[in-house]
Amino acid sequence: MSQRLRLALALTALAAGLVDLALLLRAGEDRPGPLAYLLVAIIGVSWSFAAAGLVAWSRRPDNRTGALMVTVGLAYLLNGLLLNGVTLVRAPLGFELWFLVATLPEAVLAHLIAVYPDGRATTRLQRLFVVANYAATVPLALAQLLLVDPASLGCAECPDDLLALGGRHPYGEAVLAVSNLLLAVLGALLLWIVVTRWRQTPGPRRRSLAPVALVGVVLLAVYMIQQTLTAVMPSPPSLVKTGLDLAILTTLVLWPLAFLAGLARTRLDHSAVGDLAIELSETLPPGRLEQALARALRDPTLRLAYWLPDRCAFVDAAGRSVELDGEVADDRAVTILRQGGDPVAALLHHAALDDDPALVQAVAATARMTIENGRLHAEVRAQLEEVRASRARIVEFGDAERRRVERNLHDGAQQRLVNVSLALGIARSQVGTAADEELAAALDEAAAELRCALAELRELARGIHPVILTEAGLGPALAALAERSPIPVTVAPVPPERLPPRVEETAYYVASEALANAAKHARATAVTISARRRDGDLVVEVGDDGVGGADPDGSGLRGLADRVAVLDGRLRVHSPAGEGTRITAELPCAW
Amino acid sequence: MRVVIADDAVLFREGLARVLEAASIQVAAQVGDAEQLLARVRADPPDAVVVDIRMPPTHTREGLDAALRIRAGHPEVGVLVLSQYVETHHAMQLLEDGAGGVGYLLKDRVADVADVADAVRRVAGGGSVIDPEVVARLVGRRRVRSPVEELTDREREVLALMAEGRSNQAICQRLFLSPKTVEAHVRGIFTRLDLPATPDDHRRVLAVLAFLRA
Repeated sequence: MSQRLRLALALTALAAGLVDLALLLRAGEDRPGPLAYLLVAIIGVSWSFAAAGLVAWSRRPDNRTGALMVTVGLAYLLNGLLLNGVTLVRAPLGFELWFLVATLPEAVLAHLIAVYPDGRATTRLQRLFVVANYAATVPLALAQLLLVDPASLGCAECPDDLLALGGRHPYGEAVLAVSNLLLAVLGALLLWIVVTRWRQTPGPRRRSLAPVALVGVVLLAVYMIQQTLTAVMPSPPSLVKTGLDLAILTTLVLWPLAFLAGLARTRLDHSAVGDLAIELSETLPPGRLEQALARALRDPTLRLAYWLPDRCAFVDAAGRSVELDGEVADDRAVTILRQGGDPVAALLHHAALDDDPALVQAVAATARMTIENGRLHAEVRAQLEEVRASRARIVEFGDAERRRVERNLHDGAQQRLVNVSLALGIARSQVGTAADEELAAALDEAAAELRCALAELRELARGIHPVILTEAGLGPALAALAERSPIPVTVAPVPPERLPPRVEETAYYVASEALANAAKHARATAVTISARRRDGDLVVEVGDDGVGGADPDGSGLRGLADRVAVLDGRLRVHSPAGEGTRITAELPCAW
Repeated sequence: MRVVIADDAVLFREGLARVLEAASIQVAAQVGDAEQLLARVRADPPDAVVVDIRMPPTHTREGLDAALRIRAGHPEVGVLVLSQYVETHHAMQLLEDGAGGVGYLLKDRVADVADVADAVRRVAGGGSVIDPEVVARLVGRRRVRSPVEELTDREREVLALMAEGRSNQAICQRLFLSPKTVEAHVRGIFTRLDLPATPDDHRRVLAVLAFLRA
């Protein structure tokens, strides 16, 4: 239906323009030069608007911009035809009829500019302007025809104003002044609307709006100059007047072209899909896909989130969960990409991209394979994140359990045994030395046994959790470790400041395990321990002069690697056979 | 002689009081935490305090901190810190913080009733008492190329007793040696370890421990 209508309109515009041209050619030499140029320019403007309007209409049938442009085109055609006919035939009231019709294209054009690019008035100011625009134009023109000398309206040969008041009547002057003022106000209002909208237009959408806005501003500027000139100079030299008219018309020819350029720029965006396809043909690291999509859609704020069916959640490339609800701000929009009805991913982007959903879908389709890849990758990352968290919980739980057991030993068994030894001591002192030598000897023996038991219990508790570490920090704890070592240990000065407990504990266990290995397996004769700060990390290094060949997958080192990994640190074991062992742990301290 | 005992383990506290009373040391008060101890010392300074390192509320090092505060505020009050484990770090902290009159012993030592009474008397008299376990660990510690490795066994024994805070006379009695022999050993050790000779027992303990720890 609308397609046929468009075809009909296109043919009408073509035919009317051709008739106009034919009339022009027929008149030939009879017509003054400037007028002929004007008429040709008007045909140009008409066709330009009609053609661009039809293109826009077919691309966005639900947007009235196209229809308005076609209307502008047809109005100019009618205007041109009438002007042509009137100047050719010189029928009575011909000028008056043309004068009325001539206001129409400008009114529709102003309407078009005011509501561009939505095609309809959305703000109160826009609605006010559209109504005022139409309400003012026709009555003003009528009033001018009735009261003003035709000569000052542009018809030198016309006999008189319609009410025949004659010449420069005060009413006529007043009407001219009022209409000029009104036009100036409307022009300013329109300028205000255009500037405001430009400032409110989000970045991505400005691209297609820019050419239209640019030509619009030029048009408005020339129009304002013309109006000002008319106001200050009642009868300007015809060269200036025609020049300005031609300037306006030329700009008007350009305006629809600018619109087409805007459309073409969106088309150019579509060509970015091709670039994206080329980029995706190489394997992209998952994090880069988001950047590639952002480039293709020219939206630097674009975020890509993958759907994880197991978790019923969206996550980013690193596996962290993403809340789509957090993106409901006015200028944000979410496009869910689906495959067979199931969500695969979500694009969180600027709302302006919703203008061109086809582009977003095209980009998504191009990137589908890579997105699916990225989704799997994100799934693995999310699982890894979970594993890491659970490993951290296990280590955390283990450490808490160690502290609890040490505390229980201290307050329970150890304290009781100390009480027993005290009681034994008192008993022993009461027995004295003379009375019962056998009892005294038995008590001494029990006390000695108890001393050994307490010593063993103390070492056990210490192995479970070194209290000195939590009480005094890494330096004293490493020194205590060295004091107890069966092989000579040198501890390089340790940073005196306290570090996060998890870092201190991990550093301590690294040193303790490495030292135990050096003593047990490496047959080392000297060990050096150092702990120093490097770029926010704590680097713990334990080196020995033993036989080397340590197995990084042995249970002790494996456990250390787990501990270090919980802190996002790195554990390196350098242990070539015969060259000693060097164990290095890099522990980030931002905990 | 009057002492105050601070320990949250009531049974132990009372047993210790009995032991001290039996050795003619008057127990002026028994308290269960560091706050009460400090209040008691402020109100009526005793000759010495015996304090457990772990006490309420956090059960970490309240006793140690209270001991350090008493040493700073009441240098005339001897301080004996008891603990179920001994750390060189704590020993050094206590020693470095003031001039004598300080002791650091394993809680087990109370089994030897005479020993603990002797330790209380020594700290009350301005002497230093360091647990043999701390000293043994430091003396027995394995080292690469250290003058300690070159000491004779007898010299090591003398060194350990010095580190425990024993005077020359006490060393004589312990090792059944004449004062002259002990003095000769002490001089020999100081020369061998290149330590400045000092007549002050406390300084001697500090110097020896610092050397052994380095």
